[in-house]
Amino acid sequence: MAEVALLTEHTDEQLLAQALDGNEDAFTALYRRRQGAVYRFALHMSGSPQVAEEVTQDVFMFLLQRGRGFDPSRGAVSAYLFGVARNYVRRAMEKNHSEALMTTPAEDDDPFLVTDSDPVDGIARRQTSKAVWKAVLSLPEHYREAVVLCDLQELSYAEAAEALGCAIGTIRSRLHRAHEMLVRKLQSSAPALAGFSGDAARCLS
Amino acid sequence: MTCREFIEAAESLNPLQLRLMETANQQISTHTRECAACGKWLESQKLLGSALQVLRAHTAQRAAGPKVELAVLEAFRTQGFEPVAAVAPDRAAPAAWKLSRFFEVGAYAAVAAALIVGIFLGARMWHDRQAPPSQVPVQSAAAPQQINSGVTTLADNSKISGNVTTKMARKSANSATANRAAVGPNRPQTANEQSIATTVDRQGFVALMFCDPLICSGEEQVIRMELPGSAIGAGEGNGSQPVIADVVVGDDGLVRAMRIVN
Repeated sequence: MAEVALLTEHTDEQLLAQALDGNEDAFTALYRRRQGAVYRFALHMSGSPQVAEEVTQDVFMFLLQRGRGFDPSRGAVSAYLFGVARNYVRRAMEKNHSEALMTTPAEDDDPFLVTDSDPVDGIARRQTSKAVWKAVLSLPEHYREAVVLCDLQELSYAEAAEALGCAIGTIRSRLHRAHEMLVRKLQSSAPALAGFSGDAARCLS
Repeated sequence: MTCREFIEAAESLNPLQLRLMETANQQISTHTRECAACGKWLESQKLLGSALQVLRAHTAQRAAGPKVELAVLEAFRTQGFEPVAAVAPDRAAPAAWKLSRFFEVGAYAAVAAALIVGIFLGARMWHDRQAPPSQVPVQSAAAPQQINSGVTTLADNSKISGNVTTKMARKSANSATANRAAVGPNRPQTANEQSIATTVDRQGFVALMFCDPLICSGEEQVIRMELPGSAIGAGEGNGSQPVIADVVVGDDGLVRAMRIVN
């Protein structure tokens, strides 16, 4: 694993090239660098940890088999991985009839959610997170992709456009529309939560 | 700032950027204080940004479990990677490639040869252009000297000695034909001057005038004439005897030179 640590200086493109030449350390380094983002994208899109793990595994299997088709001139490796993950998420949700998954995000058994110093503040944050996630999952797919990539994965508009295969202007308009929809959903579903009453503007924190 | 301008400015920004922009842009903060609708909209966007930030923070540490990594690495080990095709050695190069190399070398050689020929011709042309101006004055300057030195002018004809006349008389009639060719019309003027001057020595002609290039241009003819002896200043005893002479006459009718035949 020392070799994997030494590969942290390499770019994604270099690691991919070495991995496709049979270098396991390079593939391991690339996996550990990018699997978290792929997993979270699938998790935010589907609301299911199981689907997210399946998608993550499928994405890197695809990279092993079809990685030579990657063209660096068309975008970064991360955008390429998000594009592949997007297709696998869509496929998994069609297969699992996951409308139920979309409207009910997974119950958090994550230790990070219960380590707040203030229990009341922790509960409020947990409720806010759940309400927002539910609203995100209820968005149409195109808008949800834009929100997940730009607001939750913190990709730039250009990177999101590469991942989704569309123009930057399309990302902007989808985001604007998605934000309007999210505000309305939060005002209707959880008006007392986090100040989305519609009448008074109150800060969350 | 109008509401339309505010919306246009805010539409392209995410909630976090909106929060930063509100504090950085004085116009926006002023407008949101004055316009209740825009202020409410901006506040809702800021709240949405904060809510998304909470969600992002709560899922930031999420990642695939170790079993996924094990499965992927197991798949990597069982994956058969085809080695990248090595560069073919030179001897394995196809015949077409060798042929193309041959033509490539030939093309380079042809270009080099063309360059050498071009440089040679250019130098030759440059040399030719440089040479004539330096040679022409030399010729034109030399010709009058030869004429002056070799030609006896009309004023000196009276002083022609009998020895010279005897030598002239010995010349054959064939030399007249040769002289006719020597004073042809296509020769340059300097050549005419030189030919007339040199014929004094070789053919026995005596120039009767200074052949200025402007005067001596054009066609010339050699005419054999019978002249009275007094016309050429012969001695008193022979003054009544006719003298046969070859006369060089220009196309302007002027006599250029003369040779006593008998």
